[in-house]
Amino acid sequence: MPTITIDGVAHEFEAKQALLQFCLDRGIEVPHFCYHPAMSVPANCRQCLVEVGMTEVDRETRQVKFGEDGKPIVRFLPKLQTSCSQEIADGMVVRTHRTSDLVARAQKDTLELLLINHPLDCPICDQAGHCPLQIQAYKYGPEGSRFEFEKTHKPKRIELGPRVMLDGERCINCTRCVRFTGEVSKSHQLTIIERGVRNYPMTPPGVVFDEPYSMNVIDICPVGALTSVDFRFKARVWEMSKTASITVSNAKGSNCWYWVKDNRVLKVTPRDNEQVNRYWLPDEDRLDYERFNDGRLSGPVVDGRPSSWDAAYAAAAEVLGSVEPASILFLGSAHASVEDNWLLSRLATHLGAPAPVYIPHVDPGHGDGWLRTDDRTPNARGCEALGILPIDADSVRKRLSSGAVKAVYVLEEDPIASGVFSADDLGSAPVIVHAWHTDNRTLAAAKVGLPAAMVVETIGTFVNEDGRAQRVRPAKAIKGVNRTLMMEVGKSRHDLHGTPFDRWYDETNLVDCQPGWVSLPAVAARCGLELSYRGPKDILAEIAGSNEAFRGVSYEAMGESGVRLQETAQTA
Amino acid sequence: MADFIKHPVVELPERDPEPSVPADRLFFSEEEKARIATYVSRYPTADGAIMRALWLAQEKFGWLPPEVIRLTADTVGIPYSQAYGVATFYSQYYKRKMGTHVLDVCTCFSCQVCGGYDMLHHLEKKLGIRKGETTPDGRFTIQEVECLGACGSAPMMQVTNGPYVMNLTEEKLDTLVDALQEGRMPPFASVTLPQDQDEMGGNRRSDAPSQEIYQAPPVSQTIR
Ligand code: SF4
Ligand code: FES
Ligand code: FES
Repeated sequence: MPTITIDGVAHEFEAKQALLQFCLDRGIEVPHFCYHPAMSVPANCRQCLVEVGMTEVDRETRQVKFGEDGKPIVRFLPKLQTSCSQEIADGMVVRTHRTSDLVARAQKDTLELLLINHPLDCPICDQAGHCPLQIQAYKYGPEGSRFEFEKTHKPKRIELGPRVMLDGERCINCTRCVRFTGEVSKSHQLTIIERGVRNYPMTPPGVVFDEPYSMNVIDICPVGALTSVDFRFKARVWEMSKTASITVSNAKGSNCWYWVKDNRVLKVTPRDNEQVNRYWLPDEDRLDYERFNDGRLSGPVVDGRPSSWDAAYAAAAEVLGSVEPASILFLGSAHASVEDNWLLSRLATHLGAPAPVYIPHVDPGHGDGWLRTDDRTPNARGCEALGILPIDADSVRKRLSSGAVKAVYVLEEDPIASGVFSADDLGSAPVIVHAWHTDNRTLAAAKVGLPAAMVVETIGTFVNEDGRAQRVRPAKAIKGVNRTLMMEVGKSRHDLHGTPFDRWYDETNLVDCQPGWVSLPAVAARCGLELSYRGPKDILAEIAGSNEAFRGVSYEAMGESGVRLQETAQTA
Repeated sequence: MADFIKHPVVELPERDPEPSVPADRLFFSEEEKARIATYVSRYPTADGAIMRALWLAQEKFGWLPPEVIRLTADTVGIPYSQAYGVATFYSQYYKRKMGTHVLDVCTCFSCQVCGGYDMLHHLEKKLGIRKGETTPDGRFTIQEVECLGACGSAPMMQVTNGPYVMNLTEEKLDTLVDALQEGRMPPFASVTLPQDQDEMGGNRRSDAPSQEIYQAPPVSQTIR
């Protein structure tokens, strides 16, 4: 097999690829700025330099030639090469900064040049703490600056568009942002203007950087030149914990990190998943977090008055027991997890009520064939796989007015706001609703309101439009639930920097709510149905054991990047 | 320290200026379109043709306001942003309305050490304007530009994207400005370097008669 030697260690390879990516894949760090695996390679930052040589081979015998010292003779290219644009080859010998003083010196000099006009405002820069330039300057840079003159001053605080702010002085002109708009999103809204020390990225006159994916440039910018208008100055990166989960603004289930400080979600950034969203996240997914923090229903409500959980569960069970089971309308939810919808189905079956239905939220034309979908819910596919079908609103209204529906049980939905029926349609039929927010309009008409945990506070499975089942993990704590939430979250998680800077001990902003897999069994128990699971993991195991579509789906199988539901079951 | 070391400030271009070319004049004629199509056909991808097409547009409209850059990009078939990036890179493309004579003084490395800034400041003083400005009578604009590739004859300048004036001295600048006032453009000049004076008959250009013999470059007053 072809072999390449890096810093004296031989590595075998199969396919040709760029040297830098080859190193990164093997955990060999090579400092770099402009290279991004999803975009073209301009090799303009010059930070990834290495020494590259080839072992000398005898032309006739095709044998490696050995020197007098018994070692193979290596001919190095006279100049350092950019590893991002260098393709690996059999017999190649590479020296990185670990074994070559020349490379170490070159990288140091590149950093000195990059820092000449770079402002030293790390203490107020959002990027500080996870800034490639800062990190590399510490690790590989010079100790001081020899530049005694006034730095070039460029435009600062420029809103390139409604969501992205530019600080021209911090830019190192890697062109990642421009390449993103040119090659990935294809909006072509950015370009580098001017030249030399004067250049920086800009929109051409009359153009606003407002494409639906604009905020991706914030993540890929290797310095703090592009920051989020929304997030600027809200928190330092080391003050937040981040949790791997998925976004729920649409049916794509893009993988993300939820960043939390003081039990509030402050920002949402993409998490690499080759199968779903790669490195990207639409702006709508990133800005859809305030509802996790604000306007939350905290503490159960019975007859419009605050209540205890026990009393609320009892009131719910009483409603369910007081009417003809066949007249109870169970509304599942494409916003809720597979597990919670399953428990709702089980409760309906136990009582002898018709199977739950869900309310579709489809916005035709919203989707773009990429990471935004017409469907504005994260789990419609999961509901359907469980046999929970879209609601027929007309017939529901008819059955309500004819008195055929005598009670309504709603899981994490707002049928009144969704226009399925109105408060008047309900008449005297009592409603039980698992609600997120105080402004839930069905809540206003409900007999029992059970505050529900949102996606950032629960554990569960969501199935995206393409049939991929993915896990969500609790990113923030809620009141009254064991903080470790089924051991999903270690008590002292380490932050990005490996320090036990644990935000989970923070007692502020705790919402008094319960995940469906806690509250539904509590209601069921009072209706004579024992739903005892050790947690959502067991619930999913039960689903996988009884529902063909979920065969083989488990928390282990989903891991960080999810699994597709059985192809066979999908077509059935 | 000399007064030329000031805050280097890079300005933000106007983000959404009013169009300068009226809509009814903002088009390329069929003949111009055909010429641009020929430029495009010369390159494997259309972006190769943008520089020549922008040049054509500048000749037609006198300068390149954003709407003209957009029109050119659309005609060539490349993104407007890319064309705008190219137009702002080169000082030879005029993004503002310029005076009749544009005096591009090089202050890049070689010219700088040989007195490029002395020349720039002399011109500024003489014409009573700063770099980037145009005289009130609309005759002269001064620009500070990067290397024009004639470092061997530093300090040097270019007049309105035309002839180079090399081995500059203050006297030479005075004469030049006077000549331009009278409407006389400097001739194309060729400068020989010592090593090829003999072989090349003292003139490396076949199309320009005038020549200058190499002289030791001046030195910046700041260094002196
Ligand atoms: S703004 Fe950031 S991403 Fe864009 S060119 Fe500058 S450093 Fe690179
Ligand atoms: S990463 Fe190779 S030159 Fe920038
Ligand atoms: S530095 Fe002035 S022409 Fe090159």
